Amino acid sequence: MSALLEQLARRQLVWQGNNQHAAYQPVASGYAELDQQLAGGFPATGLIDIQTDTGIGELRLLLPYLQQQQSAGRLLVLISPLAEPCADMLCAAGIVLSQVVIIAPKTSKDALWAAEQCLQSGSCASVLLWQAPLKLAQARRLQLAAEQGAASLILLRRPQEGLSLPVNLSIKLQAHRQGVLLSVQKRKGGWPAAPFLVDMQNRWPGLCFSADQHWQARRKAS
Amino acid sequence: MALYLYLQFPALQPDSLGCAAAQQLPVAVVNEQHYIVQLNTVAEQRGIALNMALGTAAALCHNLQLLPYQAQLQLSILQSVAQQLYQVTADIALDPPDGLYIRLCNMLQLYQGLAGYWQALSQVLTLLPYRYYYASGTTPFAAKCLARRQLNLLTGEPDALTKELNHSPLSFTELDADTRQQLQRLGIDTLGQLLGLSQGELARRFDSTLLSYLGRLRGSFYHALHYIQPEHSFSRYVELLYDIIDTAVLSTPLHVLLLQLEQQLQQINAACHQLQLSLLFRGMPAQQLSIGSAQGEYRAANWLKLCQLQLDKLKLTEPVSGLQVEVTAFVPQQNQSDDLFQPVQGTVSALQLVSLLQARLGYHAVSGLTLQNQHLPEHASQRPLPLLAGKTAVTALALRPAFLLVTPQRLTEAVEISQGPERLCPDGWALEAQRDYFIGRNNKGQWLWLYRTAQQQWFVQGIFS
Repeated sequence: MSALLEQLARRQLVWQGNNQHAAYQPVASGYAELDQQLAGGFPATGLIDIQTDTGIGELRLLLPYLQQQQSAGRLLVLISPLAEPCADMLCAAGIVLSQVVIIAPKTSKDALWAAEQCLQSGSCASVLLWQAPLKLAQARRLQLAAEQGAASLILLRRPQEGLSLPVNLSIKLQAHRQGVLLSVQKRKGGWPAAPFLVDMQNRWPGLCFSADQHWQARRKAS
Repeated sequence: MALYLYLQFPALQPDSLGCAAAQQLPVAVVNEQHYIVQLNTVAEQRGIALNMALGTAAALCHNLQLLPYQAQLQLSILQSVAQQLYQVTADIALDPPDGLYIRLCNMLQLYQGLAGYWQALSQVLTLLPYRYYYASGTTPFAAKCLARRQLNLLTGEPDALTKELNHSPLSFTELDADTRQQLQRLGIDTLGQLLGLSQGELARRFDSTLLSYLGRLRGSFYHALHYIQPEHSFSRYVELLYDIIDTAVLSTPLHVLLLQLEQQLQQINAACHQLQLSLLFRGMPAQQLSIGSAQGEYRAANWLKLCQLQLDKLKLTEPVSGLQVEVTAFVPQQNQSDDLFQPVQGTVSALQLVSLLQARLGYHAVSGLTLQNQHLPEHASQRPLPLLAGKTAVTALALRPAFLLVTPQRLTEAVEISQGPERLCPDGWALEAQRDYFIGRNNKGQWLWLYRTAQQQWFVQGIFS
């Protein structure tokens, strides 16, 4: 190997295909097809970027993961959620409510500060952050904080074009009648994947239209 | 044999100005009659002496910094010194304005003699910034007289003490000026001469105060001392040498105060949950900040961090002239027991984290979530203080949205209903207020929680996320 290549490899600017090791510790997401695509599940630590519209099933996708993250007794922090979080749904998903902390900061700067403090502390397992504009340097800083505290930060924001952030996993969600349509945009140690359907009919039958319902609806329309 | 120690602090007020800049400048304390009553070492080197008139002092030294004499401050400093010394010696009585009586005869066995005792006591005294003079004596007044002569004499030999006491001039005694003058006219200049006279003779010529003083000096009269009790509170005030408008600069004097708090808390193995920080201004009433730590904290560094977060939020309209830190209740320290097999990721516990967040974002910006046994959705979820365990017996209702809108909004778009209705009635089964709940999906693919009122109006109350 040339000296230049060796130097680049040492600075982790290039890597070779044969020393594939997992970039992160996966935690099963609770959805078989998703686990298969993500090689095991969501990352246990670091940043997870989810580009989604609100209310299409993004939290339902995360609930089994959050429940597992929280089970070791660490906190689940919700920073500036869209509206009043409802205890019924979280409790029904097996999340311990006494380990949930909700933070309502006034400015997005305070929200980022709170996220960094929570991630760094080591007492939080997962932090959910809604709709915070994030710059590259801020994302890097949060990533470092998350690694320090072995926590994961889940960014929930609207689909947007722009610079790709240094995250462990970036996915995009689209609404679908049987669940959500998920496309992996970026995954550390893996490849982007084509959109595929995460089927929620088994887990959330009340919040899906089954195929025959769909036909009935169509017939009514015609 | 009874043995007492007297400590005299000649310059409590100048020495309490903690910062290094103050130690470079000549500082003097002036009383209401414009006489110098206390001064620091720099001022002493410039030729300023005690009881010098203010004009003379100012002429001698152009950059002399003057402080007014404050009896209350003097007393509080003296009390704080006594509290610090209480850690090594038991019986301490205050002698305002600048002295402490310590009964040491009953401490000697513990420290195995005077040398060991003095070693322990002087270790504590050197930690404090105050200069002091000391002397021992067989009675409190004897010790005081010798200490005022600045002898720094510590011995248990009665002969040596009596010899020194006999040499003491009358100006170092507790006698008032008139009595001293009378005695001087009789040719009595030292205590030795006075003690040699017969009591009957003295009783005929002088009033009872002289006799009672001499009786207590000899030890033949009982001298009542009010020994202090350890207090479970903390209150310290620091006068800033110059006014500070920048909250970042305030952290330096504040750290000094917090270190004193840490020291006191550490010694009694305690912590505190709440701390009152007062910022004092010249022309405004003081501003009170209440800083809390949910876990209970004693370390100065952690308290400083919490204080700074509150100070950062503050906009000062006027410079701060003084700082006060007060703690009213102490709690025993509790050790956090960590899991032996699970590595600890961070150094901040959940309670500490919550305190930190509350300090910067405000007390009400951080909350927890509990489930109440209520069928109406707006009453089922409540937001109490964080990290409180709610009732565990409550079972969650199956299909509820992730988010509830604070005020329901009118439904303005077409939705496709997937489930419903589920009829909910408020208290008393008021049929007019009943709602039929449905789950629906709009064109954008959002799952909404809708209800229809008895008047057939449709509202959106929640979003399934």
